[in-house]
Amino acid sequence: MTTTTDPICHAVIRGEIVSSDLVQFGGRGGDITFLAPDPARIVSRLPLESPGKLQDLYSLSLDDILDYLSELGKRLELGSNPYMQEACELSFATAPTTPPIVRGIFRDVPHWFQPDRIREWSELTVGSRYLEGWVETPVNNATVAIRAYGSRALHIVAGNGPIGALSIIRGAVTRSDTIIKLPSNDPFSTVAIARTMVDMAPEHPVTRHLTVAYWRGGDEAIEKKLYQPHNIEKIIAWGGMASVKHVTKYIQPGLELTSLDPKSSASVVGTEGLKTEALLSEAASRIASDVGAMNQCGCANSRVVYVMSGTDETGLETINRLGEQVYAAMLKLPSGISTKPKRYDPQLKAEVDALRLGGEDWYKVIGGEDGEGAVIVSQMASPVEFVDYLADRTVNLVPVDTVEEVLAAVDASTQTVGIFPDDLGSELCHTMSLYGAQRFVSLGYSFNGPGPIGPQDAIEPVRRMCRWIVREIPAATRVPLWELTEGNASVVA
Amino acid sequence: MTSFCQASERQAAGWIEDPLAHFGYSATRMHSMDRSEQEAVQLAAMNILLERRRAEIPVLAKLADAQGIARLDSLDAMAPLLFEHTVYKSYPAALLAKSRFDQLTRWLDRLTPYDLSAVDVSDCTSIDDWLSRLRDETPLDPATSSGTSGTMSFFPKSKLDYRRCFEGLRLQVLQTFGKPPSEADLNEKLHVMTPTYRDGHSSVGALARYCMHAFCKGDESLLHTALPYKLSADLSWLAARLRRAAAKGDISKVDVPASLLARRDEMEQQLTEAPRQQAAFVREMVETLKGQRVLAVGVSPLFHEVAKGGLAQGIGGVFGPGSRVMTGGGGKGIALPDDWDRTVKTFFGVDRLFNNYGMTEMASLIVGCEHGHYHLPPWVVLFVLDPDSGAPLPRSATQTGRASFFDISNDGTWGGIVTGDRVTVHWDEPCACGRATAYLENRIQRFNELQGGDDKITCAATPAAQAEALDYLNALEG
Repeated sequence: MTTTTDPICHAVIRGEIVSSDLVQFGGRGGDITFLAPDPARIVSRLPLESPGKLQDLYSLSLDDILDYLSELGKRLELGSNPYMQEACELSFATAPTTPPIVRGIFRDVPHWFQPDRIREWSELTVGSRYLEGWVETPVNNATVAIRAYGSRALHIVAGNGPIGALSIIRGAVTRSDTIIKLPSNDPFSTVAIARTMVDMAPEHPVTRHLTVAYWRGGDEAIEKKLYQPHNIEKIIAWGGMASVKHVTKYIQPGLELTSLDPKSSASVVGTEGLKTEALLSEAASRIASDVGAMNQCGCANSRVVYVMSGTDETGLETINRLGEQVYAAMLKLPSGISTKPKRYDPQLKAEVDALRLGGEDWYKVIGGEDGEGAVIVSQMASPVEFVDYLADRTVNLVPVDTVEEVLAAVDASTQTVGIFPDDLGSELCHTMSLYGAQRFVSLGYSFNGPGPIGPQDAIEPVRRMCRWIVREIPAATRVPLWELTEGNASVVA
Repeated sequence: MTSFCQASERQAAGWIEDPLAHFGYSATRMHSMDRSEQEAVQLAAMNILLERRRAEIPVLAKLADAQGIARLDSLDAMAPLLFEHTVYKSYPAALLAKSRFDQLTRWLDRLTPYDLSAVDVSDCTSIDDWLSRLRDETPLDPATSSGTSGTMSFFPKSKLDYRRCFEGLRLQVLQTFGKPPSEADLNEKLHVMTPTYRDGHSSVGALARYCMHAFCKGDESLLHTALPYKLSADLSWLAARLRRAAAKGDISKVDVPASLLARRDEMEQQLTEAPRQQAAFVREMVETLKGQRVLAVGVSPLFHEVAKGGLAQGIGGVFGPGSRVMTGGGGKGIALPDDWDRTVKTFFGVDRLFNNYGMTEMASLIVGCEHGHYHLPPWVVLFVLDPDSGAPLPRSATQTGRASFFDISNDGTWGGIVTGDRVTVHWDEPCACGRATAYLENRIQRFNELQGGDDKITCAATPAAQAEALDYLNALEG
């Protein structure tokens, strides 16, 4: 029964907007409820019935695809696209961030579709030659031709950024059939893009190879039917445990999982970055940017900063001064990038308050009494115990004496490490890479770089979305097996 | 009015001094008090304690100063002065890694009214050493508990807290509501059988030791435990830190002293052998204690396993009249059949199973009534807080929210604690058991278990994700 005025999360199936058989979703823990087509009724229509049906995407050149994406990007302008406007308003309730930041994310969506940007990263990570045809190379007394084919891929996307848009672009560039399973924290933005595609070019192969729908993650009735090798070849799952735990039981030969695990990020400030008041102040602004951007809802946000101030009295005085400046700089970030958080995690607040009450000998807490975010400055060379809880613009500065202690900052779940000054040393990057770090940036530029250009979380997801096919042509000098004499036969294949 | 206030203050002083004695050790009396009178005494007692503890517990003084609260004019005015459980783990874990028990003692000293400054802990080399020293040389018997994040809390419980807790338990499980306590209810020596440890610093480790006083009346020959050793706080800490390091993908980063890491085999051996020892123990006790009056305390799956096996061999009704069986919790993921409780009751020969609600941070343990409700003793003031705003919900009708308590009987610590439990309270609906006090429904859930599974996916590593990873590891370890 759907007698409510809940917003609708339409399904978009290969060019068709589906708004029938609506059932209610969401509503946990005070979240909004929304309506979406009953997944049980549409599940059989979600997959592409045969991989051979990818053929129509091969009538397009990469230029054709980029033209399509470019035109789409122009039509996604927030100022003129009513679907985007509606989705933006509705996302205020579902997004982990605040309205000014959500509006900023929507406003930036066209940027992702700029053809030059897409061409550059696709060239880097796959290479247009491989996407457009067979690339021949002589090797081992043969000529091999390699081509990157698209696949039938299901994307379980995260809801804390424009991941739906990214998945649509990646699917188009690789000539894949793309099914996007929406998360409950962003059920609207991807649908707005898909509807714009249908309006723009309903019969275009890229439109016809996109399916967007919501079902509750872990709904066995749906997933058992859909997650089969005869329906899809690849699952790209963001969010690790939260999404992957439902998926692993369906993984079998013929169905490959790419898991983009949940990550957190850290920063390092070297001795040289603290030498003058001007440098210290610059370091503070850089830290504030990497902590505060998107209200620290992303994996690329810094949560712990190792500062090589030393732990003696002078060192602590320096890091405490740095902490005050980080706090001030964070409050000054523009509202499209950072605001007072939507809701300060009560569990985190309990931890921070406890330090203020019982941990004053070891931690200096700056701010945080009004839910605006806080800077916790450790007064010894170790981070807070609740380091995994750091969120909502809460960062822990940790003073260290030696560069070896900085290595504690990284483990397998570390994505980005911001470093200041830049010449802190490639040696440090090398060692941190071994311990788990996956991306290094100049401190302050975690959200101000080239974007997802290839490697992500130590894998190359776009390359893995492709099916890499090889053709082998023997060199003229190769002796055929049927001409070998007895005792000389060897098989290398 | 003045005499009413004075009467309240006199009662309040009695509750603080010795709540069980104040009610004549009668379960009936403590649950038959007029609600408005009860609340007046609660307010008076909390005001007395606020003034007294503020001078004695520095962390409370700091909080009260920051909140600008010196006196309460209503029960709800206490809400901002309740401690989050996190206060009891607000020390840096590095202090444990470096065995800095001097600093840990100074930290603990700020959370208790007892003066710990004269205790010399300079020669303590382990957590067990340190906690034993405090137990031996002060009125405290500090309790440890370790959460899912791998952090250990230290709660400065006093020996008096434990004694009151277990005297209170005796009173609740042996007395019949509506009848005055009999001589046997108060003083009979019982066998205690619990498939746990002989000793230890966590609540499960302390159970046998204090049951020995409350139920065996000091006669150690009546105390039967499965595991003849002390539950080591150090080994619990080691296990927690290993899991934490494993969840972060690098076990070599485990931050414990080398001497403790060397005990890893011992820890693993204990973990492997304990289940078999426990099952064997319960089977043995069934023989030893046949026909005796026994208090059996243990987890449901173990009791069920033994009971099922026993009934299959035609053994049943093993304990003597007046025995009590108390069950609780048990391993996650162990599904018990619907009739598990009937199996356990038939096997042990009891007509009901007792369960309880309590926590390390609260001196009082609340036993479920005949109708499965947790009735609050009058000296435990409940606050049900709005889970988002933290504001107290009305003290009437039925309310669901975050449970917080002020236990007037807490001796070693400030009595106010905010829990992570989601509870439903019935403030003024009578319970069929006859107790007049407000009660909690027995469906109590942890808020952090209620999160997750909501299909919100983000690329950022969240505590829920970490906890799931830890659960996964724990499940692998069985």
